[in-house]
Amino acid sequence: MTHRANRILQVAGLARVEGEGSLHVRTKGDQVESVELAIYEPPRFFEAFLRGRDFREPPDITARVCGICPVAYQLSACRAIEDACGADVGHRLRALRRLLYCGEWISSHTLHIYLLHAPDFLGFPDGIAMAAAHRETVERGLALKKAGNLIMETIGGRAIHPVNVRVGGFYRVPEFPELRALADTLRHALDDALETVRWVSGFDFPDLDVPHDLLALRDTDGYPLDRGEPVVSTGLRFPSSEFGEHVAEHQVPHSTALHARLDGRMFLTGPLARYTLNSDRLSPLAVSVAADAGLETSCRNPFRSIVVRAVEVVYAVEEALRIIETYERPDRPFVEVSPRAAVGHGITEAPRGLLYHRYEIDAGGRILSADIVPPTAQNQPAIEHDVARLVGRHAALDDHALVSLCERAIRNYDPCISCSAHFLDLTREHR
Amino acid sequence: MNSVVIGVGNEFRRDDGVGPAVAREVARRGVPAEISDGDTVRLMETWEDASLVILVDAVRCSPGVDGRWHRTTLPVHGPVASSHGFGIPEAVELAEALGRLPGDLVIFAVEVTDVGFGLGLSPAVAAAVPDVVNAVLAEIRQTS
Repeated sequence: MTHRANRILQVAGLARVEGEGSLHVRTKGDQVESVELAIYEPPRFFEAFLRGRDFREPPDITARVCGICPVAYQLSACRAIEDACGADVGHRLRALRRLLYCGEWISSHTLHIYLLHAPDFLGFPDGIAMAAAHRETVERGLALKKAGNLIMETIGGRAIHPVNVRVGGFYRVPEFPELRALADTLRHALDDALETVRWVSGFDFPDLDVPHDLLALRDTDGYPLDRGEPVVSTGLRFPSSEFGEHVAEHQVPHSTALHARLDGRMFLTGPLARYTLNSDRLSPLAVSVAADAGLETSCRNPFRSIVVRAVEVVYAVEEALRIIETYERPDRPFVEVSPRAAVGHGITEAPRGLLYHRYEIDAGGRILSADIVPPTAQNQPAIEHDVARLVGRHAALDDHALVSLCERAIRNYDPCISCSAHFLDLTREHR
Repeated sequence: MNSVVIGVGNEFRRDDGVGPAVAREVARRGVPAEISDGDTVRLMETWEDASLVILVDAVRCSPGVDGRWHRTTLPVHGPVASSHGFGIPEAVELAEALGRLPGDLVIFAVEVTDVGFGLGLSPAVAAAVPDVVNAVLAEIRQTS
């Protein structure tokens, strides 16, 4: 048992493309006094930036919020604008969007699993050190990520900030031979994805079960990616248009990012929530590999999120292959979307969790207001809660070990401030 | 000689857009160029088949002079001004660990101060763009 007068853990967060953050933990003796995860949140800036712009612009502008999940931003934006305009793209274009989203899930999850998260379990300071020691494993991860990128390049025009997405559909839809070539790559990727689940399921997982309410989309069929209705682990369901009534963001003094609460309670969105609320919607193969990996039909241990992500990658590769096999080329790459004075809501499942967009437009198609609620803002209070619990439970650890544990607790959620380098600096003050 | 120019940066973060601005101008002259947000793995993927890789990025120096630029063949360590962290050094280290370093890697680093939210380069940084473009094109001519 340690008896420290006062401990302060500081996280100097490295900036990534879409977020800058820091963590401040203060303990007195063995009591956790405060945990503050501060994230400077670009979406606030983007919301202001969107006002007065044309209704066709949000997919391209908001994609720049995040270089890791641009498809999520593009598709939530498209869904919201189409909702406002009363447009429906139909099942053929929807299938292509879902295929594009599978690419992003594969790419984003694989990057996190291999380079950001796995080093925590294998005792490496970062993905680069792990690559030197496990070259073949990291090569497998990079090949799998590349398969995701290839989907994004084929459907979206390029992997980073795809340029082929527009309100109403796409500028161009792929020919059959392009998709056949993609399927060849994906068949190899499925083997890599299955191997990934086997690999991560052998890691050693600290015990932690989170009590938070879980929020995810649930679709009429299939695992939720590109659409669905919000459902909560409490049994609550509500239409996308009521998202703002249930999920309220409020200011906290320590952060320029807003903190979200679901009906006043802390909640979690992302892989654990998606899996727990939709594991019955996975493919038979994904269900079987999840069981082999030791997952039950629900998962509330954030450390095991790496296994859930790996299972979701298996599903995404399979789903991509299924969409390609049943592809019916749309007659036109997009449907006409005409503006009208209205408010629209769009929610999709970004790799990190639920991403909500709301736009108010006038009859001429000018954006009057925009609201974006990204997954990391929704998860922030839950992440702070986890860190506080771990710090309280492991107060006897020395500073270095405690810092590592805090870092791991944050990285479990793959927040936008994830960084493969160690990002905590610890200073201790004695009063 | 298979070369690629990669402008690293975020155009929505003012002077962090200097890399992309150079890449655009280079592409306009018919030379293969990409814009990257600096993500470690994606950088590596972009240069996968290139024998000459030229990276253009913003750096923050102390004391710094906006628009002053440097050519180096080693990753610039220390605080990077861009909103994408330390992607370049990491990409180089990861590529090295996996035996995937390009034959030649040249970095042009432009000193900047303002990386706040917004579009457009400050006058001093914008004035440096044509010079850096010329230096990049000369580099390619010299190597090929």
